This record gives sequence, structure tokens and C-alpha cells, in this order.
Amino acid sequence: MSPQLIANIVVLAAIYALVSAGYVLVYRVSHVLNLAHGELMMIGAYILVATAGLFSGNPILALLLAAVSGLVMGLVVYAVLMRWLTGEAVLAAVLVTIALGILLRGLSILIWTTQQFYPAAIFGWRNPPVHILPGVQISVASLAIVALTIIVYAALFLFLQFTAWGVRMRAAGQNPLLAEQRGIRLHAVYALAWGLSTFTASLAGMLLSLDSGVESTMATIGLKAFPAALVGGLDSLFGALVGALIVAAAEIAAIQFVNPLLSDVVPFLVLLLVLAVRPWGLFGSREQLDRV
Amino acid sequence: MTNVPQAAPLLAIDDLRVAYHRVAVALHGVTLRVMPQTIVALVGNNGAGKTTALRAISGFIGVDDARVIGGSIRFAGRRIENEPPHANTARGIVLVPERDKVFPNLTVAENLTVAATRRASSAERRRLDELVFALFPALAPLRARLAGLLSGGERQMLAFGSAIVCKPELLLVDELSLGLAPVVVDDLARRVRAIRRELGITVLLVEQNVGVALAIADYGYVIESGHVVLEGPAGELRGRPEIQQFYLGLATGNQVRRYRALRERPANGPGDRRQ
Amino acid sequence: MKDAGSSDLALFGTPARRIRLAVALVALLLLPFVASPFLLDLANQVLLAVIGALALMLLTGFAGLISLGTAGLLGAGAYTVGVLVREAAAAFWVTLPAAALLGAILGLVFGLPSLRLRGLYLAISTLGLHFVVVYLGGEYEAREALSTGVMIDPPSIGRFSLTSDIGWYFVLLAFAALALLISVNLKRSRTGRAWRALRERDVVAEALGIDVHRFKLLAFVVSATMTSVAGALFAYYRNFVSIDAFSLYLTVQYVAMIIIGGMGSIPGALLGAAFVMLFPYAIEAAAGFLPSRFGNVVFALDYAAFGVVMILFLLLEPAGLMGIWHRIRAAFAARRATSAPKSAPGSASGSAPGSAP
Repeated sequence: MSPQLIANIVVLAAIYALVSAGYVLVYRVSHVLNLAHGELMMIGAYILVATAGLFSGNPILALLLAAVSGLVMGLVVYAVLMRWLTGEAVLAAVLVTIALGILLRGLSILIWTTQQFYPAAIFGWRNPPVHILPGVQISVASLAIVALTIIVYAALFLFLQFTAWGVRMRAAGQNPLLAEQRGIRLHAVYALAWGLSTFTASLAGMLLSLDSGVESTMATIGLKAFPAALVGGLDSLFGALVGALIVAAAEIAAIQFVNPLLSDVVPFLVLLLVLAVRPWGLFGSREQLDRV
Repeated sequence: MTNVPQAAPLLAIDDLRVAYHRVAVALHGVTLRVMPQTIVALVGNNGAGKTTALRAISGFIGVDDARVIGGSIRFAGRRIENEPPHANTARGIVLVPERDKVFPNLTVAENLTVAATRRASSAERRRLDELVFALFPALAPLRARLAGLLSGGERQMLAFGSAIVCKPELLLVDELSLGLAPVVVDDLARRVRAIRRELGITVLLVEQNVGVALAIADYGYVIESGHVVLEGPAGELRGRPEIQQFYLGLATGNQVRRYRALRERPANGPGDRRQ
Repeated sequence: MKDAGSSDLALFGTPARRIRLAVALVALLLLPFVASPFLLDLANQVLLAVIGALALMLLTGFAGLISLGTAGLLGAGAYTVGVLVREAAAAFWVTLPAAALLGAILGLVFGLPSLRLRGLYLAISTLGLHFVVVYLGGEYEAREALSTGVMIDPPSIGRFSLTSDIGWYFVLLAFAALALLISVNLKRSRTGRAWRALRERDVVAEALGIDVHRFKLLAFVVSATMTSVAGALFAYYRNFVSIDAFSLYLTVQYVAMIIIGGMGSIPGALLGAAFVMLFPYAIEAAAGFLPSRFGNVVFALDYAAFGVVMILFLLLEPAGLMGIWHRIRAAFAARRATSAPKSAPGSASGSAPGSAP
């Protein structure tokens, strides 16, 4: 395998990892699989288009505003939709996220049409390829995605491990009844999980749009990142990281050596393989399977 | 015993009726009083309605669609029936559950810090954590251990600890002794009395093991098929022949299956032979 | 043999019921002669959807097995026709059984994960299989350089070929009726009761001596066969197969049919199919009143509105249209009872209100 191929794998893995972190956060805390995640990521990218249009002279402000909107988006989704489904069958909640995905897809086309937007161009940024090693080049935005993925994962790890709210999120995921009896407000914890989930998804969407623009098909990336989360184990952040690497490597190898058309199906082939052999994922806990 | 009749009860339950799915009635008018800083035991067999009563006090959360359909529960004078659990925790009613009493994937220390303690500064939280380790010294060296790896007794101590961190006024304990060795139970019993003595916390024990419950408690209620059939100071109850015969397993041979059935039999029945 | 489920859509009920059924039948038979070509096409689409919706209702509504594989199975059926017609110029009496057979095999494949997985994980595995089927179709199109899909001649016997919409209407009506008959009979049979036990809890079902694996696979096979045949009919009806038609959105539409109709209810599947198929036309009609800016993105408006409707049903009326119908009927019955308290009880309420869960 050439060094360039490895670099491509790392970049794709970083994208999948950044997107799948949101799947894991929501699943781990509330056991809901959010199938609107890709669409929420896409909305995050479109919001950057909007803020970039408003503050084209001040990219930092535009980026910051879009990032904060990404956080608020999840809080709103929880408050308006998902909170009414707490305690209901998990599948009803999953179906609601499917419906939400379709709603967002329609809305985004109504607002932004099917045209492609380049927020980087609005800022007047170019996205030149960088030689990181002799003969190995990736775009600046891709480099930023890899760096951001590392930062986000480190931050999430520290947050979950060492802050009061992080521990509460873990506790609520394990035993919501006991958590409630220990005075933890489940709605607050769930809302926070949704907020962080759409926040990280928005970051991914924003950087992807800076790299190659945003159009109405971006949501597909969200769906392709889902196998990464499942391969690692839906309740394990570390698993998502490893799962992203596996799925990205398989996908790029298939494109390179077998057939470019395989790109969309390889993540799901990996997923089927894992479901057949070890359905709770490489690092997930086995009892997850009986929960749903 | 130490009951002061003129004091207001911390917990007052009057004629409480609870139904599951709106039809299956599990409690038919239970009345009981828990005076401040006492330990009260609610004892009875499996399915007698103990757990239902406990759930009603601690707050239902989607449990088999259960609801209070009559009567009242007053905590410190305030009515609290059909409130959500976190609201009751905020008022000072904290439960030590029978099962799933700790978060297995959190460490012992995290199990204590995770509780959303009411009105506590970080200094006070630290003091509470230290208080728990003082009450249960066995937990101190296990701070960094995952709760899922603890023994049954250690788990029960941790469950008490994380309940105490919530600064309860009333501690509800569901099956203190279940699945624990007698030595461990004796030790826990001493500590429950210490919690009451040193922290002034009122305790309501719900127990299947009548012997243990009446040894710890000041006052006891016996519940059967959703009715309170007997109540009195714990020492007095311990001495009652019906209790000894039916609940303390001192009888042999011709046992009566229900206390009420026993009451309807002529005194000095064949069950008393052993005395 | 009679249980609570048999009152649902009882074919031989009270005389009033029989009259209503006869009226409905006559209306269905006369419809194509009075409907405009547009309406007739719409009716045909609804009939096609009814087959797929009933198939999904069997699987999810009866047996409680969640599948996101409907689009993949429809695509598999359609592609069986496409490939056989293109490669071997096969006639419909070859392609339809072939589609059914492939559907049965795929049902077995889709169903295998259900032996180990439940709920969410099962749904995900069927989603994975959806992408595999779509990939295979896309791969075939790419290799044969079919940028616009496969053209298919109408089915024909001798000199007669099925081209008129009226002809199609009766063919599809027959297939939909067959699917309905199969569904009703399965629901009433031992198999239907076994599925219901599975849905409630498969541990309990096992304890009751039900062969859980067999009945799960049976549900998948029956459902997939019906869906695949519907896909094959779809290909013939449209004279054309393209893998683009079998997107995940199609699956969502079918899932929406059984939710909106009312989970576990056969009439619900029919209502849901009609609702979902007619919905885009309602939106299109409504879009006529909107500013012209929305004129060329009606499909997006359709998406958004459809998402909202699905959410509203899931949050506010989980029992779907059947739930609303039962409530309306109960309200009427209550009013009738208060206005005429002496009327004989029983005759007014022919079927048990609890028949649709």
C-alpha cells in the first residue's frame, strides 16, 4: 500500500470518526439510534454557508456562530421532538429520527435548493494540497479534519471521564431509573447528549463543506459513517475510532483495487460481517443487544 | 418505644391504594406513620405489597403503569403521590433499591459524585464523600474500583453511600439483607443505626427477612395481600407468637400460610408446640 | 380457529357488513370505467403499494420483526424482470415466478440475522442488505452501460399484450386481492397466532413450544416473496427498471404506510398505502397556491410535509388512521347510545373495538 493510500485512509477514517461520535453519544446515553444524524450534519454545513454569507469578512465569527448553532440544533431537536418519546419504545424514537431526516432533507432543499455551495470561496480561502511527506499530499481542509477529530475525541474522553456532567451521562446511559433516583435530571442529560452529538456532526459538516462544498447529498456521508459506530460497538467512543479506521481502510482498498462503485456498499458489507460474527461490536458491551 | 406521640410524622401514609394498569389493585388502603429520626420496618412476604408501597413513596417512573388511585402520601406535611422520582429526591426522599443499586461501569468514587446533591457546595460534597468513607471504611480503599466488580456487601454499602450523598431526610431501603451473608447483614444493621444516630436520618426498611428488620427497627408494620395486618413497636412484635411462628420460622409442622388465617384459628393451636 | 383477530375484516359478518362489502366490491369494479386516466394511474399505484404494505405489515405488524429492506426487495423483484427480459427475452410466466423465488431466497437471507438479532440491530442488518441489493443493481447497470435503466416490454400472451391502464387495473386488483386474502388467512391461522406470540415476546413464545426460528424465517420469506412480486409488477407496469427508483426513501414510505395506517391492522395497511401514495399529489395540488419560487422544488416540499406527517402520527396517534377511525366510531356509538338508550345492544357494534391493537 502506498503512503498516499494510507493518508487517504486516515482522512476518510477521521471523517467517519467525527461523524460517528454523535451516533455513539446519543446511543450510549439514551439508547436511541439517530438516523437523522447525516441530515443534521448537512444542516450544520448549510448553517456555515449562511453565517459565511453574513460575515464573509470575519471567518472566525462565522465559524464560531455556526458551531454554536450546531450545539443549539441538538438541544432543540431534543426539546421539541425526542423528549416526548422518553420512556417509549426505542423503535418509535428511531422511526421519529427517520421522519426527522426526511423533513430536514426537504427543508434544506426548499431553503438552499440542490445547488452546491462553497463556504471557503465566500471567505476567499483556497484549499491547496499540502505535501506532508514526499509524494503524499492532502488538502489543508483534510488536514484540519484529522486534527479536529483528534481534538474532539480527546475532549469528549476528558469530558465523559472527569466532569460531573460527563459522569452523569455515563450513569444515565447505564441505569436511567437509578440515575433519576439519585437526583439526575434525565431530560437535561439527554438534551446535552443531543447537543454534543449535533455539535460534533456540525463540525464535521462544516469542515467537509470547506473542503469540497456542500449540496443536498451530503447526508449520505452520515449514513456511511454509521457502520463505523456499529463496528466498534454502539456504546464505545474508542470503538467508533477503531471502527472508522476499519471501514475507511476497507472502503479505500475496495475503490482502489476492486471497483469504485463499491464505495457506497463497502461500509455496509463490513457492517453485515460484524453483525453476523459479533453483533455487539468490537468494543461494545454485550448486554446492549438485549436492550432493544 | 421512643415514639413521641405529639410530634408530627415525617412520612404519613393514609388509606393508600395503588393499582397497576388501572385494574390490578396491589394495595388496599395502607396506613402508616414514620416519625422523624426513627427506623421503621415494613415487613411481609413476597407479593404482599411492600415494593409497591415503596415505589409509591419514592415516585413511579413508568413501572408497569402503576398509579396511586386513592388515599394520600404526605412527606413533611406535603402531598407527594404520583410525583417523579427526581422531584422526591430533591425533597429528601432517597431510595436504596433492591436490584441495580449502583452504576456498575462507574468507579466507587464516581458512583458517589454522580448524585446530584441538593444545595451542596463543592466543599460540602467533599465532606459528604468523606462522611461516606467514614461510615463505610471498607469502601475507602476501593475508591478507584469499578462498582460492577464489588462484592454484594460492598455494593450494598456503596448504595447506602450514594444515597447518603443525596442528603436524605428519609432513607428508603428495599431489602437490606437480600442475598447477603448473615455476618455482612449484622454489620450493615449496625451501620444503619449509626446513620440514624449520627446523621439524624429517618429510615424506612422494607424487608422480607422479618428477623433482621425487627432487630434494626424501632417500629414495625406487617403487610399481607395489600393490607396492614399488624403493627407495633419492634420489640413487642418480636415477642408476638404469631410473628415468631409465621415469619421467624420458629414453628414446625402444621404451619399457617397467612397471619390472618392464623388469627382466625383458636389460640394455642398445634403450631405452638415448640414453645 | 376463531380468535380475537378473526373479527378484524371478517368476510362473512352480519348482513349489514355483507352489504357494505358488496357495495365496496361493485365500486372497485366500476371505478376504472368512470375514472380519468390520471386517477386510474393513481389507483394502480395504490394497488401496487397495497401489496408491499401488506407484506411489511405481515412482517412488522404481525410478527414484530422490523425491516428496512422493502426498497431492496422491490428492487430485487423489478431487476429479476429487467435482467431476464434483457438477457433471455423471458415471458412474464417465467419472470414472475422467478421474482417470487428470488424474493423467497432473499427473505431467507434477510431473515437469517433475525435468529440472532432483535429490534434495532435487525433493522440495521436489513438496511445493510438493502445497500447490497442496490449495489448489485447499480453494478449491472454500469456494466451494461445502461445509463437510463432497463426497458421492458409489456407482458403478453399470444397477440394480446397488457398495455391499457384498465387492463392493468384489473390485474393489479387481482394481485392485491390475493395479497389481502393471504394476509387475512395467515393472520387467522396458527401461523398468525405464533407470530403474535413472537411479537409479544419471543422468550415466552419459545416457552409455549413455538418454533421461534421457523416462524421468524417464515415471516421473512412470505413477506419478501410478496414484496418481490410487487417489485416485478412495478417493473412491468412502468415498462422500465432503474435502480434509482429503489432508494431508502422508498423504504421509509412503506414503513410510513404501516405506521400511518395502524400497526398490526390489515385495513390499516390498505389505508396507509392509499394515504402515502396520494400524499404527494395532495402536496402538489397545495403547492399550486404557493409562490412560484416553490414550483420547481415540489418534491422537497413533499419530503418536508411527509416528514412532518410521520412525526405527528408517531407522537400523537401511534395507532394510526385505524386508531382515529376506531375513536370516531366509538364517539358515534356513544352519541347514539345517549340519544337512543333503548336501541338493542350488540347489532351496532359488530366487531370488537380491541381487534386492532
